[in-house]
Amino acid sequence: MNELQIGTHTFSSRLILGTGKFGNVQSMLDAIRAAGTELVTVALRRFNREQVEHDLFAALSTIEGLTLMPNTSGASNAQEAVRAAHISRELSGSPFIKVEIHPNPQHLMPDPIETYEASRILASEGFLVMPYIPADPVLAKRLEDAGCASVMPLGSAIGSGHGLATAEMIKLIIRESSIPVIVDAGLRSPSEACAAMEMGCEAVLVNSAIAAAENPAEMASAFNDAVKAGLKARDAGIMPKSGSAVATSPLTSFLGKTS
Amino acid sequence: MNGLPNWLTDEKGSADIAPLLAPDSPVSLESLAAEAKAITLRRFGRTMSLYAPLYLSNYCSSGCVYCGYASDRKTLRRRLDFQEVERELECMKTMGINDVLLLTGERTSDASFDYLRRCVDIAATLMPKISVEAFPMDINEYRALADSGCTGITIYQETYDPDQYNMLHRWGPKKNFLDRLETPERALQAGIKTVGVGALLGLYQPEKEALKLLRHVRHLCKTYWKAGLSVSFPRMRPQTGGYQPPFPVTDSFLARMIFAFRIGLPDVELALSTRESPRFRDGMAGLAITRMSIASRTTVGGYIEQNNDEKGQFEVHDDRNVEEFCFALQEKNIEPVFKNWEPVYNGPCSE
Ligand code: SF4
Repeated sequence: MNELQIGTHTFSSRLILGTGKFGNVQSMLDAIRAAGTELVTVALRRFNREQVEHDLFAALSTIEGLTLMPNTSGASNAQEAVRAAHISRELSGSPFIKVEIHPNPQHLMPDPIETYEASRILASEGFLVMPYIPADPVLAKRLEDAGCASVMPLGSAIGSGHGLATAEMIKLIIRESSIPVIVDAGLRSPSEACAAMEMGCEAVLVNSAIAAAENPAEMASAFNDAVKAGLKARDAGIMPKSGSAVATSPLTSFLGKTS
Repeated sequence: MNGLPNWLTDEKGSADIAPLLAPDSPVSLESLAAEAKAITLRRFGRTMSLYAPLYLSNYCSSGCVYCGYASDRKTLRRRLDFQEVERELECMKTMGINDVLLLTGERTSDASFDYLRRCVDIAATLMPKISVEAFPMDINEYRALADSGCTGITIYQETYDPDQYNMLHRWGPKKNFLDRLETPERALQAGIKTVGVGALLGLYQPEKEALKLLRHVRHLCKTYWKAGLSVSFPRMRPQTGGYQPPFPVTDSFLARMIFAFRIGLPDVELALSTRESPRFRDGMAGLAITRMSIASRTTVGGYIEQNNDEKGQFEVHDDRNVEEFCFALQEKNIEPVFKNWEPVYNGPCSE
């Protein structure tokens, strides 16, 4: 089963794109196509109903088959995020909402308490809630219990390019999660996206690494390949790591069958 | 002066950046630019958020030596009435502006708090994002502004040197150095979401001003963890009073300062106004600056009727219109962002 399932929706691509940091709308659209992505996130604050030429939502609507996941970036607490989600649903018609609450506008770290509260409310209202969270295994389970459709732990700080700095925690989240785990934020290169997929993530979300590349469409295509490679490797069964060398001819064969 | 806060006097708070700004710094401007560019690209991407100022009134009760609106200048005094405010904002809206900075001089009966608040109310019906650059207020006033939809306050210390400050501010409420220094904190305590700070470059030794400004921002970041900070780099421009800045700042120092701020404050919004030349603005876009004013008028009103006889608070250097300016950004593969806020997030920050 090679499809990504979120709630009742399925996607054949496991690469999700952020839309915020591109140099122009055309390069964003080109990158989305090259990424083969079917799900993108867009900030409600970049919706511009009055001036369509500056409206990211309008531009994204020109790509057929693309599902939008509005996000609540800009919200500093649960109440604001819930209000933003309601407006986003009205404007976009999408059942998805990426809950993104970062009260500290400097480092943009997600607030676990407010995120939990907003996610709980929105899930009970029928949204497909995809919260952006610190890589905390307990919080991830709490959000799953609250009815979230996925969890999106950060690999490292937004825009830091520090990759999978939280890998150990993400592995714990994956081990215990029954909903898709999607790494969001911090990925710098396709090899890191590949590693996230090998590790067991169901998808990755990338923005800065593609938007800030010299050639965003080429980079998007590279991420597309990397995500597929990671998944393929995982499905093929990655050789387990061992603490010491393992001889190809076992050293204890002389004992015959021991069990 | 007694009672100066520790963060202002303790040089440890800017020791990492001081060597980059020193006159004999071994770090080349080019290498600073490269580092600043990399940080900006990662954190802010290829975007530039745009805003425009609206001068509501040029009445003023203070006597700042360097300002064309000081109360002893023979400037024609004017205040927009509420209908004019609305019309100006509508005109700005047709230019694409969605982020407005409302300005007045020091508090007077003509441009009082109540007047300003009404203007914010009007702006809130048209603009998703509203900031105010006016006189220092108390906490209750800031809370009321936030309730009306004001999300940001801009307040420049002008100079961080208390003696120079005292000399330059001849009379009026602005003479109180400490009151002004504490203003950003009052606004943040009241739940205003973003504060813009800066020094008016040219008034005092630029290297010292830069380091104190940096410490100010770091102090605010640490103390008010929900604060959105932005730093501006206003350089003195010719204005009605004919004042010549005693410490003129060169292009290369200004560039060095902006790069150093990006390195020292990687997540903070750095702004550059139309005081600067098109060449300088275009050059800095994409390297460190993430916020710019566009098609500014520094006369009262001034968007609908452009009166060439009227002198603004300072002379605009980059007078390109919206299309010309956006074209220049796009040539550099930078997306001009006109709307980057939702009124749904307005109101005081919850504590
Ligand atoms: S700088 Fe401000 S307070 Fe000072 S004279 Fe000018 S308008 Fe008045």
